[in-house]
Amino acid sequence: MTVTPDDHSIHTTRRTLLHGATAAGTVGLLGGCVTAGGGDEPEAAGPVTDQNPLGVPEDADLEVVMFDGGYGDEYTRHAADLYQGLHPEAEVDHQGIQRVAETLQPRFVAGDPPDVVDNSGAARLDLAALSSSDQLHDLAELLDAPSLDEPEVSVRDTLMPGVVEDGTLDGRVGFLNFSTVAWGIWYSTALFADHGWTYPATWDDMLSLCEEIRQAGIAPWTWQGKYPEYMMDPIQSMAAKAGGLELVEAVDNLEPDAWKNDAMLTAADAIARLVAAGHIMDGSEALSHTEAQNAWCNGEAAFIPCGSWLEGEQQEVTPDGFDMAMGPVPALTAADAMPDGAVQVASSESFLVPAQASNPRGGLEYLRCLFSTDVARGFAETAKALPVVRGATEGVDLAPGLGSVAAALDAAGDDVFGFKYRLWYAPLAKAVDDATGELLTGRVDPEQWADRIQTTADEVAADDSIAKHER
Amino acid sequence: MRHGRTRFLIGALTAPLLLYGVFVASPYVQAFYLAFTDWNGLSGQARNVGFDNFTSLWSDTAFLAALRNNGLMLLVVPVATIALALFFAAMLTMGRAATSGVRGSGVYRIVYFFPQLLSVAILGVLFQFVYTPKNGLLNGVLEALGLGGLARAWLAEPAWALPAVIAVMIWAAVGFYVVLFAAAMESIPRDVLEAARLDGAGRAATFRRITLPFVWDTVQVAYVYLGILALDGFALVQIMTVGPGGPDNATEVIGLTLYRSAFTYGEFGYASAMGVTLFFITLALTALALRATRRERVESA
Amino acid sequence: MRRHATEPLLHLALLAWAALVTLPLAWAVLSSLKTDAEIFASPWTIPGQLHWENWARAWQEASIGRYLLNTLIVVGGALALVMLLGSLTAYCLARYEFPGNRLVYYALVAGMLFPVFLALVPLFFVVDRLGMLGTYHGLILVYAAYALPFTVFFLHAFFRSLPTAVAEAAFLDGCSHASAFFKVMLPMARPGMVSVGIFNFLGLWNQYLLPLVLNPDPDRYVLAQGLAALAVSQGYRSDFSGLFAGLVIAILPVLVAYVLFQRQIRSGLTAGAVR
Repeated sequence: MTVTPDDHSIHTTRRTLLHGATAAGTVGLLGGCVTAGGGDEPEAAGPVTDQNPLGVPEDADLEVVMFDGGYGDEYTRHAADLYQGLHPEAEVDHQGIQRVAETLQPRFVAGDPPDVVDNSGAARLDLAALSSSDQLHDLAELLDAPSLDEPEVSVRDTLMPGVVEDGTLDGRVGFLNFSTVAWGIWYSTALFADHGWTYPATWDDMLSLCEEIRQAGIAPWTWQGKYPEYMMDPIQSMAAKAGGLELVEAVDNLEPDAWKNDAMLTAADAIARLVAAGHIMDGSEALSHTEAQNAWCNGEAAFIPCGSWLEGEQQEVTPDGFDMAMGPVPALTAADAMPDGAVQVASSESFLVPAQASNPRGGLEYLRCLFSTDVARGFAETAKALPVVRGATEGVDLAPGLGSVAAALDAAGDDVFGFKYRLWYAPLAKAVDDATGELLTGRVDPEQWADRIQTTADEVAADDSIAKHER
Repeated sequence: MRHGRTRFLIGALTAPLLLYGVFVASPYVQAFYLAFTDWNGLSGQARNVGFDNFTSLWSDTAFLAALRNNGLMLLVVPVATIALALFFAAMLTMGRAATSGVRGSGVYRIVYFFPQLLSVAILGVLFQFVYTPKNGLLNGVLEALGLGGLARAWLAEPAWALPAVIAVMIWAAVGFYVVLFAAAMESIPRDVLEAARLDGAGRAATFRRITLPFVWDTVQVAYVYLGILALDGFALVQIMTVGPGGPDNATEVIGLTLYRSAFTYGEFGYASAMGVTLFFITLALTALALRATRRERVESA
Repeated sequence: MRRHATEPLLHLALLAWAALVTLPLAWAVLSSLKTDAEIFASPWTIPGQLHWENWARAWQEASIGRYLLNTLIVVGGALALVMLLGSLTAYCLARYEFPGNRLVYYALVAGMLFPVFLALVPLFFVVDRLGMLGTYHGLILVYAAYALPFTVFFLHAFFRSLPTAVAEAAFLDGCSHASAFFKVMLPMARPGMVSVGIFNFLGLWNQYLLPLVLNPDPDRYVLAQGLAALAVSQGYRSDFSGLFAGLVIAILPVLVAYVLFQRQIRSGLTAGAVR
């Protein structure tokens, strides 16, 4: 048996495969191979008009498969209704699912994906792999198309800064995120007002406030221990604020010793001090996100780290008058490279049009409907989260938590940052989470924590089989 | 008598073998082929990489941890389950020669079977709540018994997480085998037991000399089935544990490593190599187990 | 005699295991009737009032009624099919010598040893090409195919142990091979069939990965998929009582079926264990 590496890509259209299977019967099935597939018929298109700037074929059906999770599916259905109104002849099939990867992966390979996908949730497809496999339709055309609300403004110009960059992989825009997420530390303004506490601006203030909170018989902190990435956000936020964008880029570009940077170590140590001082609620390390968040909502703990989706996730169980708010992660040192109010921001809820969709123009058109002011406004109201459409929340009465997030983003202005390593290098993300879980139980110290992560980062950097990205 | 034999065999075997060939064997054969490629699960192309996937397995810490944990589960789960089930089954049936079994034996058999009725997904969710530190059932029971000092965050401590998972597997499996073994024990002819008792054999001796050899066939089937169960554990670990698979790989199982590689990392070829490795490990162990138990049967007969 | 001294201890052991088994289940039932706040207060709080609306919510959100029906159709169909094909295969392999017999047997049994999710993507293609994606018959065929290895493994040993004299007598009476199987051997194997039938029922009932990929149409979801959807949405909307209620609703039908039929199941197992 020879094991010489050879490149044997088999390009067969789906139709010939089907023919082969019926003609050869069982033999075709046994011999059929998953790495075949992918047709290259020309894209179905209709005439381009002012009403139909993307040239959607009017009679083509549209299949949208949406992740139905924390934000519900009201807003994606809303967009489907808009599409239906614009293209009454089309039949729009909207499906909400939970496990995107297992459900859709075979359809991508088979060359038979839906026309739009909301690739989100815990079981989502790896976007980097989708991109490198040429499974993503370039969205540039959509970005240049007139927006639904104001034809003279392009879709690109209705989006908040960073959204297009977030969706760029391998040099083209492969997906667009619908929601802006900011990360910070959450507390109940009512509880703080009762005790006369104020949200700390520096980590030293945080530590002394924690002492005070403990005296009041409340655990200062809890966290979603089952998923250590929740605590990684405050660590990497403090590190970024202290070390500046240089540190963020060094980490994302897998530079040697990026994780052993002083700012990174000090940030890890800051959290480790929380652990050492006993400021974290007992047993937090074993709690799922909902359990920890419910304990926090019950007033058992004062602080919890989370992204801006927290209020929507907790809306059923938050007591009246709790008035949650998100504060920016406190400054680590007096000489931080970024100002106090700097916030970690990213966009989430990734919408994409598969390259092999049967109605890709319809897919783009659906996204044009989705990224409209109407849908975005509805999203802010039902999902209690921020959409990426500019001005969509103007005049909307925001819930207290969402209001605090919007205020934090306003205050931060251009001082926002975000890490990419989680999107680009999934194995590194796992190493980070494992190490962070150990740090939070005191089983490793900050140096060991950094060592472990750096080792994996170096391995990823050296592994030729992993596609590299640079920022 | 040979008349129509071939026709019967062909008629009887064609449908099942076709079904098996199309839906089970052909996908598996493709997975074997994929184990030698770098297929990412999404692209129309795959490059042959020879044995690379298999060699990198041995430096993959998650895979090695999984191998260790599955190995431990393989040692503990079948043995503990069978031992407990044999014990309870014997309790429920013993003394039948003299009396008509333990009082309430029918009720026990209904109750013991309950866990078998829960799907793994339900089991995982349920026990996640049993083990949860603040308001979980286990810590609640310990405190009620005055053993609050033993209460802990079961799934977050490396030393306790895997035992906690193993305990759930045993909890769920014992009942079925109690019912199965008890059924086998009840079919032991009464006079055989009677004779043993007249010979002055105690309970333990009767169990060792008569009951055990009699049910050995059933035990063997149980062993294979439980062994396969112990090599899996995927759904349970994925739902219940920290991480999942944590803390720090303490509950990692091969199924989880494989799943993560295939679906999260987009390394389908590599994941297939894990599957192939798991297949051969299971194959070897099954053969070994069957051999070992067969020999034992000869000795004890 | 010594056995009298140990008797209470043995009873205690039996009782302890019974408590160990029932406690988590009883607790799940209790929790399904509490509010979320009561669940979080302590495992021991008694619900202030019984919150049956949790059940209504779970029933609705997980569409349990419809999924239950889908599950019964698919599991029932697959069970009937695998019992027929499995017993035929096991019988042929156990009682007839022909070239390739061992090979077929080991190839079948090897199917038990490979992780299912590696087959998922290739399997999707097979089912898709046959045009059976998201259909009842497609799922039934796949379920039956994946239950076949264990069925054959179990019944093979069983048919081997049946006395040969009966079959020979049947042949002397002029029975064909097929009628010898259906009229003589299969009834003799009934106990074994019951045992393996129960194994298969439980296995198929709990099947999760296969429908996830092969059954994408929410109208045809089986119960396991509905529950997963419930568990996921719980993860985003924080509804613990609803989740507990869903769990209990999903357990109940099987539990009731077991209690009703336990006598038959037990006698089946009893006879099945006689070799």
